[in-house]
Amino acid sequence: MATYGWLYDAKRCIECRACEAACKQWNRLEPGVQYRKVRVKEMGHWPHVRTQAISMACNHCDNPLCLRACPVKAMYRRQEDGAVIIDESKCVGCRLCERFCPYGAPSFNEKTGKMMKCTMCYDRLELGLEPACATVCPTGALQFKPWAEIANVGVAMIENFNSPQTTRPRIRFVADGWPAPGR
Amino acid sequence: MSISRREWLNVSAGAAASAITSPLLAGLSQWFRPAQLRAATVQTVVSACGVCSPACGLKITLEDGVIRFVEGLPGDLSGGGKLCGKGAAAADFLYDPDRLKYPMKRTNPRKGFDEDPGWVRISWTEALDTIAQKIEDARRQYGAESLLFVTLPSPDVLVRLLNALGVVNRIDHIDECFLADRIVQRYMTGGKSWCIDFANAKYILLFGWDILAKAKIVYANDLVNAKANGAKVVLFNPQYSATARFADEHFSIKPGTDLAVALAMIHVLLNENLFHKEFVDKYTNFGQFEREIREHFQRYTPEWAEEISSVPAADIRRIAREFGTNRPAIVPAHKKTLCANYANASQLMQAITILNILAGTIDRPGGRYFARSISVPGVDAIYPPPPYPPRSGRRVDGKDKLPLVLEDGGGMFSTLADGILNRFPGMIQFAFVNGYTALGFPQPQQMERALKTIPFLVTMDVLPTDTVTLADIALPSTMYLEVNDIVTREYNAKFPQAVPRTAVAPPIFEARSAGFVALELGKRLVPEYFKTPNGEFINLSTLLDEKVRRAGLGENFAEFRERGLTSRPAAFVPRETFATPGNTGKCQIYVPQFAERGVDPLPVWRPKREEPSAQYPYYLLTFIPAVHKRNSTQNNKILHEMMPSNDVQIPAALAAKLGIREGDLVRVRSRVGQIELPAHLTETLREDCVMIAHGFGHRSRLLSLAGGKGARDGDLIPSQTIDDVVKSGNFGGAACIMDAVVQIEKVNR
Repeated sequence: MATYGWLYDAKRCIECRACEAACKQWNRLEPGVQYRKVRVKEMGHWPHVRTQAISMACNHCDNPLCLRACPVKAMYRRQEDGAVIIDESKCVGCRLCERFCPYGAPSFNEKTGKMMKCTMCYDRLELGLEPACATVCPTGALQFKPWAEIANVGVAMIENFNSPQTTRPRIRFVADGWPAPGR
Repeated sequence: MSISRREWLNVSAGAAASAITSPLLAGLSQWFRPAQLRAATVQTVVSACGVCSPACGLKITLEDGVIRFVEGLPGDLSGGGKLCGKGAAAADFLYDPDRLKYPMKRTNPRKGFDEDPGWVRISWTEALDTIAQKIEDARRQYGAESLLFVTLPSPDVLVRLLNALGVVNRIDHIDECFLADRIVQRYMTGGKSWCIDFANAKYILLFGWDILAKAKIVYANDLVNAKANGAKVVLFNPQYSATARFADEHFSIKPGTDLAVALAMIHVLLNENLFHKEFVDKYTNFGQFEREIREHFQRYTPEWAEEISSVPAADIRRIAREFGTNRPAIVPAHKKTLCANYANASQLMQAITILNILAGTIDRPGGRYFARSISVPGVDAIYPPPPYPPRSGRRVDGKDKLPLVLEDGGGMFSTLADGILNRFPGMIQFAFVNGYTALGFPQPQQMERALKTIPFLVTMDVLPTDTVTLADIALPSTMYLEVNDIVTREYNAKFPQAVPRTAVAPPIFEARSAGFVALELGKRLVPEYFKTPNGEFINLSTLLDEKVRRAGLGENFAEFRERGLTSRPAAFVPRETFATPGNTGKCQIYVPQFAERGVDPLPVWRPKREEPSAQYPYYLLTFIPAVHKRNSTQNNKILHEMMPSNDVQIPAALAAKLGIREGDLVRVRSRVGQIELPAHLTETLREDCVMIAHGFGHRSRLLSLAGGKGARDGDLIPSQTIDDVVKSGNFGGAACIMDAVVQIEKVNR
């Protein structure tokens, strides 16, 4: 079965946060638990300022440090699609995974005392659907693809994204800029 | 609601791939993907979003009748098959536990936010009988002018009720929105247009236009695609916004001076003959008024505009030349982001329209074009009414002093409170407020005082807003996923399309639609206007069926619903004639009818209303954040979590000068009010501006999430008297919702 990853094009993101809302809706996340967040980073000083938006969740790394750090082996990786999953029945809420994740993906559920994080919407994948986030993204900034198709597309990292070297996240970034405007 | 994903999957996997038996679903099978059929309890419904007016098509997945997921509708022109965050969070509007459930009557005669209204549940019959009696009493004793309806002019049966009652005082929010634009378009290009063909544009010039940051995806997708097609985007905006990131050039223009730059650009285009000569000669009245037009713009040199706007003259000249030679070029204009912000908004809309005419892109590829939409007849076409009584009486908003606004038909938010309190005290005896709250007005504190003086206030709303807590009778309204309707859109309407807005659930508890209320009041007050030719009372679902039939969408609504999204693709044929007044069939650069009404036929420079002073040294900018729609979404569970409150954004350099650090409590004062908010330091603002998000500061204690969070930007923004509006030359009645200056200081605790 194909395994998957995300292709993110920062220049297309309009900060609408539809990905966040759709994620919360599909995964029925209670307030306080967020799998996906859009962060807008300001760079430079007025008037020479730039901004960048990144939509970020668990990147389902090939070498997930969270999984290796978990003392009770509550995390596993699904062979079918590559999703890194927390088994809540085993999780003891020590939050070690959160500390080891370079992307701050695991989120502590105050109510249950357990960690939660993006599941790659594997339940949607099993139904033949894309993850909720990529399904709604209006501008195509966030796309979900078979990893084999995108593993070599674009670049492995952009500004404000922590180094992928150790964990090898399943996300690639479109690096091309806009075409030069015609004159 | 607490089924885990795993359980849901078990349900899905356990169910046989059964045939769909529901008649609703049978016709919707085109929207099913095969895998979904595994879940017998899963249905998919086609509907339309009700958060904002482009009404993006929705594909809603229901699980055991409960919304599981909401996504865009494939093939839909408005949303392009996608959604924004507000659209995706639809379920939490429907299932908001704070929703009004029954008609309520207040028992505490004292009105105020610190007063418990003492709600008592009453029946719909009692509510409607009481309201009808109050309307009748007021009308008999004080005349139709004593009735105030604050509502959008929809649904059509509500408009019929107002017409039958001879209501003159009808107010809606459009002076905060597109009023000035709509007036200008009618005279200059022959009709309103909310369609912008970004995808084919090569040069896109934006004056403050920031729809991307508002996440209005109807425009966002195409602007992004325009960039991908190599279009150049130039933005004038005091803030470096989400749109600024897409711009090839961003100028941090001085607030409220866009008009100067636009006038100077016209100056350059005319002097250097860089306009689209073929279009201008054939389709405009340029030839007839060439001398007046050329002479008029001589005074508006780029050097003059630089003095006012802080945009260098050389850049204005260069951009004008680029605009004139890169085709197609367009200046989009729409709504709050520019046409209601400042006292000179009407002149700005005039100037922008001239730029578009000179670019030759009115109803042309890459330009602002007229909607190709499906026409749906209203109730008056289907069941012609007896003649309506003449409307007479005093206009509480004073719009009779603005001939072009009066003619347009919209009412004014910004002058309403002054009318109620000062110009015509005691005139309004009865008010019906449908779906609006005081928070949406400039200077809402004054609006609250005004509402409290009205002897009988009826509200109709989905949620118990601040204004609802002042009501004598509060009616619970349906929300957009509880009603059936035909939705034809006027945005991105390159070809005609209609979406069936399908109720995904019956109304909760006793919520009813505004149409129901209008019909029931009509039966009681003016029954002769609410009958069909057969002499029976109008039935709303029969009326809807008839609309579907006459619009050619099916035999009845059920058939239309089963058909789903209905498209009538057709090649884009540019308009050859333009329906401007005067019957010349041409666009009007010079508007002779304006001159006849005492309005400048060509745009003249006017300053904004408020300028920084020693007492109030900073411009106030307001904005609508991407995850909220004005003041109506803050209580949505998902959206509330994404943005629960507002703050005051302060340029980092200014904050350093004032000793303000991130998170410090800051008092913001204007000449009409003050609020306190935490500071958020930013590098994205001009050094003389501070910025606050609109939509926060709900005070109703009945809104369990939004109540008490943040502060109202409007408390700082002066409302207007009608004389202010006339004096400032604001002929389109713009509400000046960003025309304020403020002082800020750290609150020491």
